[in-house]
Amino acid sequence: MSGFLLRRLAQSIVLLWIVSMIGFALLHLTPGGPLSQFTNTPGMTDEDLQRLTAQMGLDRPLPVQYLEWFGRLLTGDWGRSYRDDTPVLLVIGSRLGATLQLMVTATLIAVLVGGFIGVVGAVRRYSFFDQLVTVGAMIALSIPTFWFGLMVIYVFSVKLGWLPPGNISPVGNESLIVFLHHLIGPSMVLGLVTTAIWSRFMRSSMLDVINQDYVRTARAKGVSERIVLVRHVLRNALLPMITIAGLEVPTLLSGALVTETVFTWPGMGRLFLDSIGYRDYPVVMGLLTFTAILVIIGNLLADVLYVVADPRIRLQ
Amino acid sequence: MTADTAIAAHGGQTLRRSTRYRTLRRFTRHRLAMFGLVVILLLVLACAVGPSLVPFDQFQLNMRARFREPFAGAHLLGTDELGRDMLARLLMAGRISLTIGFCAMVIAVTVGTVVGTVAGFYGGAIGTVLMRFVDAVLCFPTIFLLLTLAALVSPGIVTITLIIALTAWMEVARVVQGQIRALRERDFAVAAEAMGAPDRWIMFKELLPNAVAPIVVAATLIIARAILLESYVSYLGYGIQPPVASWGNMLEKAQQYLTTAPWLALLPGLMITLAVSSFNFLGDGLRDALDPRSELS
Amino acid sequence: MPRHPDGPSKPASGLILPRRRFLQLAAAGAAATALPGSAAWAQGARPPKGTRKGQVVVGISQEPTVFNPLRARIEVDEGVHMNLFSPLWSIDAKGNLVPQLATEIPTVENGGVSADGLQWRIKLRPGVTWHDGAPFSAEDVKYTLDLINDTSFPAMLRSGHNLVRDIKIVSPTEITWRMETFFAPYFSVLAWTYIVPKHILGAGGDPKDSPFNNKPVGTGPFKWVERRPGDHIVLEANDKFYGEGPFIEKLIFKYIPDLTVLKTQFQTGAIDHIGLQGITADNYDEAKKYAGRKVTAAPLPFIEAIVLNNERPYFKELAVRQALYYGMDKATIIKDIFYDVPRPTETYLPQESWGYNPNLPKHSYDVARAKKLLDDAGWKPGAGGVREKNGMKLDFTTSTTAGNHLREQTQQFLQQGWQQIGVKVTIKNFPPAVMWGDFWRKGQFDTAMAGSVYSVGSDPDPSERLSSASISAKTGTGQNTSQYSNAEVDALLKASQNEVDRAKRKANYFKVQEMVRADLPLLPIYQWSMIEGVKSGLVGYEPNVNYRSNCWNINTWYWAS
Repeated sequence: MSGFLLRRLAQSIVLLWIVSMIGFALLHLTPGGPLSQFTNTPGMTDEDLQRLTAQMGLDRPLPVQYLEWFGRLLTGDWGRSYRDDTPVLLVIGSRLGATLQLMVTATLIAVLVGGFIGVVGAVRRYSFFDQLVTVGAMIALSIPTFWFGLMVIYVFSVKLGWLPPGNISPVGNESLIVFLHHLIGPSMVLGLVTTAIWSRFMRSSMLDVINQDYVRTARAKGVSERIVLVRHVLRNALLPMITIAGLEVPTLLSGALVTETVFTWPGMGRLFLDSIGYRDYPVVMGLLTFTAILVIIGNLLADVLYVVADPRIRLQ
Repeated sequence: MTADTAIAAHGGQTLRRSTRYRTLRRFTRHRLAMFGLVVILLLVLACAVGPSLVPFDQFQLNMRARFREPFAGAHLLGTDELGRDMLARLLMAGRISLTIGFCAMVIAVTVGTVVGTVAGFYGGAIGTVLMRFVDAVLCFPTIFLLLTLAALVSPGIVTITLIIALTAWMEVARVVQGQIRALRERDFAVAAEAMGAPDRWIMFKELLPNAVAPIVVAATLIIARAILLESYVSYLGYGIQPPVASWGNMLEKAQQYLTTAPWLALLPGLMITLAVSSFNFLGDGLRDALDPRSELS
Repeated sequence: MPRHPDGPSKPASGLILPRRRFLQLAAAGAAATALPGSAAWAQGARPPKGTRKGQVVVGISQEPTVFNPLRARIEVDEGVHMNLFSPLWSIDAKGNLVPQLATEIPTVENGGVSADGLQWRIKLRPGVTWHDGAPFSAEDVKYTLDLINDTSFPAMLRSGHNLVRDIKIVSPTEITWRMETFFAPYFSVLAWTYIVPKHILGAGGDPKDSPFNNKPVGTGPFKWVERRPGDHIVLEANDKFYGEGPFIEKLIFKYIPDLTVLKTQFQTGAIDHIGLQGITADNYDEAKKYAGRKVTAAPLPFIEAIVLNNERPYFKELAVRQALYYGMDKATIIKDIFYDVPRPTETYLPQESWGYNPNLPKHSYDVARAKKLLDDAGWKPGAGGVREKNGMKLDFTTSTTAGNHLREQTQQFLQQGWQQIGVKVTIKNFPPAVMWGDFWRKGQFDTAMAGSVYSVGSDPDPSERLSSASISAKTGTGQNTSQYSNAEVDALLKASQNEVDRAKRKANYFKVQEMVRADLPLLPIYQWSMIEGVKSGLVGYEPNVNYRSNCWNINTWYWAS
């Protein structure tokens, strides 16, 4: 087990290294730079701009910049934001909570609602309910998330006035109830996608198990249907779902970015969008690296948990 | 981002006639897939022929006829913020969005297939490097990657097609690589190699045709995704330039009129949902039809 | 969405115009009768000193991130600075200088400025303390000016400050210096220069990286409490504030990046004052009907124009520039796209400026005339109706910030209008980081739709944007991005800069405006207005064209009971 872990860990670090290189190269090839916002300052000369460029270290060859950045990354120094002159890790940290709140809520909705739909769909296969939710899930995956968000705002905030049209909470009134009230809209939007995905996986996972020999055996032995379902089917069907949860991290992050934009939720997605518009290279690089780490951890956890949970899987 | 990533491993020979027939029958019985196919054909037809039947030009501004509501007056679906006919614009936008979806798919499938085939056939160092690269790109959440790429280019139809393709090819590569790796151990591939056939011939003439089924499925789903991604790029501010309309940028321009002219946002959103779900239905049906395992159940 | 509705000048032009009265004083080289304290407090009964009630939430669409008031900053940053810090004096809405950390405005009469304008003597207010309790003194003023001139410190602007020599501290409440040359706008430069604490920033360590930058300490009416990045900033009343107020307990800057959400939150009451970037013009009529809200269109000094790149061969012909202006349906743009919120203009100066020339020829929309001009100049319609001459086509691009929807609508409207006179325009917009970088500065665009401030500081002097010495693409400095070059204009601008007599300068600037109107290096459209609003119960809001943010007087705001 520990050998397996070490090997996967080593692979992950290599992966992270490649990821950071791709990100760095892409980002620094983009036209425009963090200085363009100053170029219109009256009295600004080309010399001033060159001096600022040099002060920011942007005049050196790309590979040198990269190596320096990566070297510092290894020592835990992620650089400083150009925009608010704060260490990148602090900037990300200050937004992480808001994003996690969204992601966790959406995942909870997915596990509960999507799980339930998936189980019922598998048990009552081809029933009207099953067909309905299958179609529903497909459509849910086809709706542009931000459009759905806009429609939610239009209906529930503008027309009905039930939900706030955005933001995490009004300042000065940060009670739990108010926060939850603000959380409804965005988690509904993000939850739609996760629920759709989750229900489909749950359904197919259940179906895989239902057809297994040991389930048939249990049934043949006269074990009650409910016990068969819960003890044999559901339990085994949940196993692969652990993996899915890990693998869905990038989807969740993408969804969170869009949802945060629609609902002006101060999370990492908004930060990414603002930072890329501003060409705040350290923050964008930090976010790309950070999300990649999240994704990699998700994959790793999926692998490890799967192995831990299912001893039948042989370690290579 | 389809749920079932497990695409059936297809075996050895190309589909035999009877299999083909059965596949076709399975497909035509798949109601949703047929629905998807019909809607797609109708959409394509409407976008191709429709604009010439609408009595308005998509670019014709009319400042005296802004924000006309749908189903009331000369403009069937109303007019937009510059008094342009919504129907004409929706149809022309459909041309752009569908074209982008299709072209992005072709590019993504080509790149993904080549990378996957090469990686699967050679394995070893080349395969590892290529697949690690694929893994690395997959570590970027799609929208993050899309935005980074979008910042790189000046927004236009060609560049947007390219960046969408660049965020979509990895899954094809993975699927194809898995297929090729399984196939190359089969007798016919080993035999071809023993007979001294050149690598390229084995890869693209012997092995690849046997991996067509999952590629077709993936391609269909990529079109769906590309149409969605086009709307995301537009919404996040890196979309196609005016006055050219795409469903995505129509939606983006409409969001601030959400309270005063909701149909501006509603119509393109519905078109996107309709098109994307049709391609998803079609892809789903194709998968079921092409997957021999589905007959077991 | 990150929206950058205000063009290139958004983060840039640090100085905007002060007003008439002040200018009279400043231009004469010595101030005469500034009326300290007599200023703008018009509205009714203010609460007695020391009473405070409630909080004010200011909604803004860009995030303030810079809290050292001397560094490169944008408007929303300044909105926070003016409540945390104090300048020596400020400018009220009528253009009067109002003493803040200084006890009086230096004039020749009170001995503050020598008759030649070179020797300055400033008396400082005694008993002022920083938010941390340390006393404020002349040392802080000297430190601030020195820091601005320190080349290793990334100060936003040095113009004016770089002329200051021999700063001497006479006593903790008195400071003197000498100016290298006469520089009239320095009065207004100082009105935007917030004094920073020496005992914190100068206590060792690089002021660039001081913790001060994220936990500022000032002398202003409000104290720093906390910032939640990406969401809001909280300030609280400074009970030791030397001046008037504040009459509220807390001041909160709420960052709402989406203008639609910003508007909705104002409508539903989650924010009390909607500031930068305000409500979009197309929502003005709707916003005016909100119950319990006061909505105002506040004039700004930005001039929106189609800036032509005068180095493009086809724009070197006057006939082409004139034809484009005749072919521009300005009235419809302002009426239908901008809902009559901004005021049409023929020049680069705001109407509030004393240099503003109201007698320029009025624009008319005349397609026939535009066509005739092009016909007479030899531009004949070619393939696709696009005019051409000597193998050169009237086919160019127009650019602005991508995603600025009202500008994009204007572009499309112009595109169609110019098509009628045989001119083909392609829209090519970019995100702000690309648009306003080298593309704009180095003249890589064909035409650009941009809002800019042409006057620098208190002065209607447009040299920075219209003199041929300011063409960045050629000389490496300056904001003459249209690359306009007219020897006569250059000469007039030069002569006016050293002229002390305001009447003569005014005559010169009137002439310059006539020439620019005739040459049309840029096609002026309108002067900006921003639609802001407050809740009806909130008293004290007053637009001030002299500042980039109307948060200038929140210390006097109060809730009517």
